Amino acid sequence: MGSLCSKQRYFDKPENEENGQAAEIERRIEQETKAEKHIQKLLLLGTGDSGKSTIFKQIKLLFQSGFGEAELKSYTSIVHANVYQTIKILHDGSKELAQNEAESSKYIISSANKDVGERLSEIGGRLNYPQLTKELAEEIGSLWNDPAIQETYSRGNELQVPDCAHYFMENLQRLSDANYLPTKEDVLYARVRTTGVVEIQFSPVGENKKSGEVYRLFDVGGQRNERRKWIHLFEGVTAVIFCAAISEYDQTLFEDEHKNRMMDTKELFEWVLKQPCFEKTSFMLFLNKFDLFEKKVANVPLNVCEWFKDYQPVSSGKQEVEHAYEFVKKKFEELYFQSTSPDRVDRVFKIYRTTALDQKLVKKTFKLVDETLRRRNLFEAGLL
Amino acid sequence: MAVYQSNRLRKDGALMGLDVGVGGQVLDLETAVKDGILGGGGGIGVGGGCGLISTAAAEKLDLKKMIEELEAVEVPSVFICPISLDPMRDPVTLCTGQTYERSNILKWFSMGHYTCPTTMQELWDDSVTPNATLQQLIHTWFATKYSAMKKRSQDVQGRAIEVLEILKKAKGQSRIEALKELRQLAAAHSTARKSLVDNGGVGSLSSLLGPFTTHAVGSEVIAILVSLDLDYSGKTNLTQPAKISLMVDMLNEGSIETRINCTRLIEMLMEGKDFVSENVSSLSLLVGLLKLVKNERHPNGVIAGLRLLKAICSHESLRASIVSIGAVSQLVELLPGFKADCIELALHILEVLSTVPEGRLALKECAKTIPNMVKLLMKVSESCTQLALAILWAVCKLAPEECGALAVEAGLAAKLLLVIQSCYNPVLKQRSAELLKLCSSNYTATNFISKCKLTTTIQ
Repeated sequence: MGSLCSKQRYFDKPENEENGQAAEIERRIEQETKAEKHIQKLLLLGTGDSGKSTIFKQIKLLFQSGFGEAELKSYTSIVHANVYQTIKILHDGSKELAQNEAESSKYIISSANKDVGERLSEIGGRLNYPQLTKELAEEIGSLWNDPAIQETYSRGNELQVPDCAHYFMENLQRLSDANYLPTKEDVLYARVRTTGVVEIQFSPVGENKKSGEVYRLFDVGGQRNERRKWIHLFEGVTAVIFCAAISEYDQTLFEDEHKNRMMDTKELFEWVLKQPCFEKTSFMLFLNKFDLFEKKVANVPLNVCEWFKDYQPVSSGKQEVEHAYEFVKKKFEELYFQSTSPDRVDRVFKIYRTTALDQKLVKKTFKLVDETLRRRNLFEAGLL
Repeated sequence: MAVYQSNRLRKDGALMGLDVGVGGQVLDLETAVKDGILGGGGGIGVGGGCGLISTAAAEKLDLKKMIEELEAVEVPSVFICPISLDPMRDPVTLCTGQTYERSNILKWFSMGHYTCPTTMQELWDDSVTPNATLQQLIHTWFATKYSAMKKRSQDVQGRAIEVLEILKKAKGQSRIEALKELRQLAAAHSTARKSLVDNGGVGSLSSLLGPFTTHAVGSEVIAILVSLDLDYSGKTNLTQPAKISLMVDMLNEGSIETRINCTRLIEMLMEGKDFVSENVSSLSLLVGLLKLVKNERHPNGVIAGLRLLKAICSHESLRASIVSIGAVSQLVELLPGFKADCIELALHILEVLSTVPEGRLALKECAKTIPNMVKLLMKVSESCTQLALAILWAVCKLAPEECGALAVEAGLAAKLLLVIQSCYNPVLKQRSAELLKLCSSNYTATNFISKCKLTTTIQ
């Protein structure tokens, strides 16, 4: 904001006009600052792949006008890219496993699919991907169904197989159609690493109603680069929505294959809690990817993750899932209180169980978040 | 005894009238009671048109039972026996014109008195005349009040069941309205509460509590549940992690009333015999309780919070958690500002916490522990003295030189001698002696006595 105020000179008429303009601009700035104050700012934080952007997309679908046709179309290339990337990871992964594992025969691709595999791997390594034709889709499909690839997929947590793999592989026919237009669900599953900051402004009650809070949601990238440099720009946000994918307790980082993702999330959460700029900020912890967690817990014990090493299963089935979830929740709660100095104990901290892909669930969850923030406002205004 | 004629329904559909047949014109009973001539409370079934009941039915109702059940109601003064101040069941009149309960006045006579107790006049005639009119009046009055009360409670019961049905289908704002009404009914009428419990109300309400329950709904549900008599299955149903999680959230976010309700409800749930300590292990719960306890503007909250903390620390596995959130130093510092009942609860909690190493350490680290404990000896009650002593013992045992010195500086010795001298409890005396020995072990005799700043008599 440049300085527009010139020194007062009583005799020059054109100068007076300038002053008048300056005053007008000042007034407008003041008005907008005031309006800004009423906009509640929410910041989505979390490690890479935690589901932040999916939540972002959901909010867009729920409270804004959703995705227009042009925007949907723009996702076509992303969806196709995801398909190529996935099959390449699986193919290369199977080769790696065939080399290193004792039972290497499991991971050797059948001769029929070998060439196809090499070709697809080469395509997947390019900077620009070709159009997903019916032929290519068929080839990818047959490779996907190859037993070696399926075996590799079951070890997906050791590789960087994206969570959308299964969904896209099962829909190849549709995706390769000449007139393919991505559906809402396709968009939600599509994975692209967020760079920079994305923001949307919305009002939960609906755009036509006058009442209801106005929120502005910010989504920043999840990777670790230089977080500390820009985080303080978000001082004064109403709430931080921290996404933690609880299904990733047996997975490693994209940036560092020796680091467990859950440990990374733990460190990030701790770091964020201790930031001075978030002293008074409310924290909404979204324990995300519950659907994947549910399925995984039965087969992979929680204690493979160092943070959860003291976990003891008590039963089985649905009860056990609940028990495991409560355990994880408690761990995060402990971490919160350990990282919060006594003078900050007054800030709001709530934990929500989410599955970002489920629109109804996200809507319900957000309703609760909205209620909590509104109560907080009333409380701070002394009305509660 | 006078026999009433059958009731007459007035043509205009107004309340039934009852005329006394015998003798002269007696005031229409209904009017008498309604206009408060007899001084007794409100009208008969106001607006309900339940009217007076017939004699036959009235006599079936046992007067004694009715009097008992209507204890809270204000009885007209003319119905009360001047001797016992209880309503009369068999009123008899003396020659002076004063009326008493038969058994009471006969007892008076049997004690050798021949005077009228109220007028003090000497009786010229020792006969006692049964006052039939008054008896009928008393009986009818009670019968009417009784039937009105029964009807009201039936109305309330019926309404409670109705609202419960509405609740099953209501959504959004209408759900909240239904809950508010149910809450009012439950608060005002024990019959409504019973009716709710008997008709599966606990289960219905409980099903409204879940991870997606809004605060508005949750706070009303909790307010109702806390006023009900929960049985084993009801408590078990409510002790699911998701529901307790919700209660903990409301305990942290709600109005003071909601916080207290959640606290009380959790306390009630803890009384169930299968209660597992894990259910209340949430740090958010403990932090929330501590906040309640610190909030001196709401003494009800302080007591409720302390009570629940006490219940929680009876579970050994949770003691370390309580210490980890800084409860020890906060409780110690709050002690001077507490009233007697809170002091006892707080001391109890601290004493239990002192049984775990983290607790002892925290007590030692807190600078105010020793001075505050010393001040509380012999100040509030014997049990408080016992608890304070136990805490001092735990701390001094941990670091005898350091803490012993601090304790002596704070005037411990004089207090201990006081305990030894004036307390009857032998255990207490023993403890005090041991503590004195522990603290004085580093001083020579003369040095110690001078440090004690004792008065000459105690010396």
